[in-house]
Amino acid sequence: MKQIIALLGCLAAAPVVAQDFSEGSEAKSWNLYAEQPAKFEATVVDILCELTGDCPDNCGDGSRQLGLVRSVDDVLVFPNKNSQAAFTGAAQELLPYCAQEVEVDGLLLEDDYVGAKNVYLIQRIRPLESEEWVKANSWTKVWAENHPEADGKGPWFRRDPRVLAEIAEEGYFGLGLEQDEEIKDLLFE
Amino acid sequence: MKRHLAVLVAALGLATGPVQAATGERISVKGEIIDTWCYFSGVMGGPDAVIGTAHHTCALWCSAGGIPVGLLAEDGTVYMVLKIEDSADSAGGDTQLRLASHTIEADGLLYERDGLKYLVVEEVVSDLDIQALSHDAYGTVPPFAIPKAER
Repeated sequence: MKQIIALLGCLAAAPVVAQDFSEGSEAKSWNLYAEQPAKFEATVVDILCELTGDCPDNCGDGSRQLGLVRSVDDVLVFPNKNSQAAFTGAAQELLPYCAQEVEVDGLLLEDDYVGAKNVYLIQRIRPLESEEWVKANSWTKVWAENHPEADGKGPWFRRDPRVLAEIAEEGYFGLGLEQDEEIKDLLFE
Repeated sequence: MKRHLAVLVAALGLATGPVQAATGERISVKGEIIDTWCYFSGVMGGPDAVIGTAHHTCALWCSAGGIPVGLLAEDGTVYMVLKIEDSADSAGGDTQLRLASHTIEADGLLYERDGLKYLVVEEVVSDLDIQALSHDAYGTVPPFAIPKAER
């Protein structure tokens, strides 16, 4: 018994060894300072539910941030970004897999200088029971379906009604329209 | 013997399985509502370039696009914001969009897991609007934030 206690004591005190999840990853580089390719199995969770016990149906139906609890070590990874270039998050991509076990591939960011730890850019998803990978690039399609009134040319963020309303009220610099014009005159004279 | 071993494993926190919801630590914190992807990734430049007025339009885009917002405290700590008062819409919600780039004083509950700090804001004690006039040093970040036709 003393030997078991000693062994478990050593295990508890041992430093956590960083694992390499790059094996088999086909993630494309974004040339980010702290990126590492990372492919791993995980369960999709509603982060607020996971941490606090506040758990609505279907992970909040896309309104909440979703996380990945990695199967091998129970670490909560936070996908901040999907695979599209322009200002789009990851919750919409993970929502179809709420509470399911999946495999994901993407870029893991860890940068002590800015406090990034277990931050993730998700590029593709595969339900464990499926051989087919799904690209994590559905956000703009869902946005277009939800905003038929914003149909038109140009990227979504130039046409998003809520963004346009904020800019119309507070300007591009957020200080009000009068100051906005003064700043633009100084910057672009 | 097996029973003793199971008790010991559990006592040492080595057991696997679902993590139980924890009780948050009550804190008060002041900081700017930022978009965490630009801040963490460096894709738009260093951390000083992706706060305040210079980055306001980009912060609006990111918030509307569902990128998680954080609260960048005065000591440099980033808190991932999961809820603000009655709004748990942390992926593109109206409350978070409205506060983009604003400095706020918040009371709430702090949760920590696997290297990140998470904040449930129970009360926005004060909304101090935008405090960081970063356009003085950085112009607009990204440079195309303002369409050419409006310059």
